[in-house]
Amino acid sequence: MTPPLIELDGVSRTYTTPAGTITAVDDVSLSLGESETICIVGESGCGKTTTGRMLAGLLRPSSGRLLFEGADVWEKKGRDLARFRRAVQLVHQDPYASLNPTRTVAQTLSAPLAKHNKAHGRAARAAMISLLERVGLTPPADFLLKYPHQLSGGQRQRVSIARALTVDPRVIVADEAVSMVDVSIRISLLDLLHNLATEFHVTTVLITHDLAVARYFARKGRIAVMYLGRVVELADTEPLVSDPAHPYSTALIAAIPEADPAITRSKKRVSLKGAEVPSLLNLPPGCVFHPRCPLSEPGLCDVVVPVLGDLPGGRSVACHVAVRERQPAAELLGVR
Amino acid sequence: MPVLSVRDLSIEYRTRRGPVQAVRDVTFDLEQGETLAVIGESGSGKTTLAVGLIRLSPRSARVTKGEIRYDDGKRAFDVLSLDAERLRRFRWADCAMVFQAALSAFNPVITMWEQFLDTGRAHGMGDKHTVHDRTRELLDLVHLDPKRVLTAYPHELSGGMRQRVLIAMALLLDPRVVILDEPTTALDILTQRAIIDLLRELRGRLGFATIFISHDLSIAAELADRMITMYAGRIVERANVEDLFYRPRHPYSVGLMRAVPRVSGALGSVVSIPGSPPDLIRLPRGCSYYPRCPFHVEQCLEQDPPLIPVDTPDHEAACIRWEAVAAALGSDAEAPVAEKLA
Repeated sequence: MTPPLIELDGVSRTYTTPAGTITAVDDVSLSLGESETICIVGESGCGKTTTGRMLAGLLRPSSGRLLFEGADVWEKKGRDLARFRRAVQLVHQDPYASLNPTRTVAQTLSAPLAKHNKAHGRAARAAMISLLERVGLTPPADFLLKYPHQLSGGQRQRVSIARALTVDPRVIVADEAVSMVDVSIRISLLDLLHNLATEFHVTTVLITHDLAVARYFARKGRIAVMYLGRVVELADTEPLVSDPAHPYSTALIAAIPEADPAITRSKKRVSLKGAEVPSLLNLPPGCVFHPRCPLSEPGLCDVVVPVLGDLPGGRSVACHVAVRERQPAAELLGVR
Repeated sequence: MPVLSVRDLSIEYRTRRGPVQAVRDVTFDLEQGETLAVIGESGSGKTTLAVGLIRLSPRSARVTKGEIRYDDGKRAFDVLSLDAERLRRFRWADCAMVFQAALSAFNPVITMWEQFLDTGRAHGMGDKHTVHDRTRELLDLVHLDPKRVLTAYPHELSGGMRQRVLIAMALLLDPRVVILDEPTTALDILTQRAIIDLLRELRGRLGFATIFISHDLSIAAELADRMITMYAGRIVERANVEDLFYRPRHPYSVGLMRAVPRVSGALGSVVSIPGSPPDLIRLPRGCSYYPRCPFHVEQCLEQDPPLIPVDTPDHEAACIRWEAVAAALGSDAEAPVAEKLA
């Protein structure tokens, strides 16, 4: 792997609510190289969006550091900070809410070009044409004068991506960027984001709840699985989906309905001990998954918080049992 | 004997630009106890069809022709000719609907018990005790603790619990038909799995027929006996679940199957469908899928093709090029389309 371009170093984020303090993200470390594709997956409330916002420098960690090219982002000032802001861009989930409805595509794209002194006048028009071509909105001249309401959800999301590209970013964080577009066109948007990584060397982070989308998008990259604020498994995509190491990822993958009747109706299930996800206000001691985990061992899992440990094949898993047995949970639970 | 027979159903929306032909000439049967999945992207007409079946369409909608025949063995009638009072009784008692957004399906200011009681009373279920006993029985069936649920307000329950309560409420009057509109869409994976398993269990125990409306093919793969693909308001393919997944004959069904990646098995060749669905006010000439179809020929422009039998008498597709589609897929083996086309 190339040396890290952007790195979360033991970040946590806590929120104070009337009911008490909650830790939305707890001690997450993630280091991304240039032109890498990575997916952060997990169910609602697992902290994936908060992690994404910290990675994009939009949310200050309560503790821990965000490093860009080795330097602490939250120590940066002035031009240095502005350079980071341009280098990392966010693509939002909802293309209906993230574009200003009173601005044409040309206005949406030319504003950042002018603000960051990238291009003005005729040069700006040429830059916009090339951006629209890059995101597959062709012929580009047809789209420049359109308002968001004249575009489909997929086209709007392409405009959002084009807007992110106006400032030549090094990193794009896309939060559920395809979950609101129709199934029939999701793949083409994922391909577009994937090409940014492979052809234009942009590091692309996709945050999603959909493991099938994650597998497709990060097929040459990695997946981080989060549960209740922690990364429980981090590995190359194929080994993770075919042979998950953490009991939670194993349960998740076993539970996913698949678009194939024979496979989905014969899938081996993992029975969890409980269906209720613990509240962030009242997290269990030790491993946060232990009350539901079929592998949990009293005296160990309910006492000691597991950190990411290594398994053969370059995978990291936060599970005492899998690390001790040197075997992925899928093996131990017999659902491989 | 089908419990629901739909014949030539057409539904239009009035708009300033002209009528939107949202559902066109839809014909199908729903057999007792079977599960039928209706798939298609947004704008395909599947939700208009679903709400049209119980005549819950908005005011701007109008049924221009067709028949919706309900027959549970004891009573038989055309849903479209019911007067207001009989329609009110038909809804929920004979045919219930579970909507997608389980939070907005409840009245937020009354407890769950009051919602059950309201529904029971509105349909003449008798006194409080009858409704209470039936409610407890149903909550047991959906694996919820009646003590915890009945005193709760909707916002106090998790999304998965609300969806279970809604399913229980749909079954309150023992309907023969349950329509589910995207029943698991907003739920987390483990909750989604639990709801799918629950629906399978309930269907087995209570024997109601189900119509699923979903853009999510995996729910259809899990639960459907038969499937219908809709495009631009029409049924373009009808088959049993294995034939539709492994041996689709309409290019749009092939496109949908191929557009969905999987977690298990080979990834295969996953590709989006190019273009977007047609304008339902100004439908294209000939086959409405023509502009997006990789199999099209000149002849496809002549007419919007009718459903014709392909492979077996129970498998129909509205495509004159279905043999070319079959040839492109090659083998008839039980393997997904994305793998066959890889």
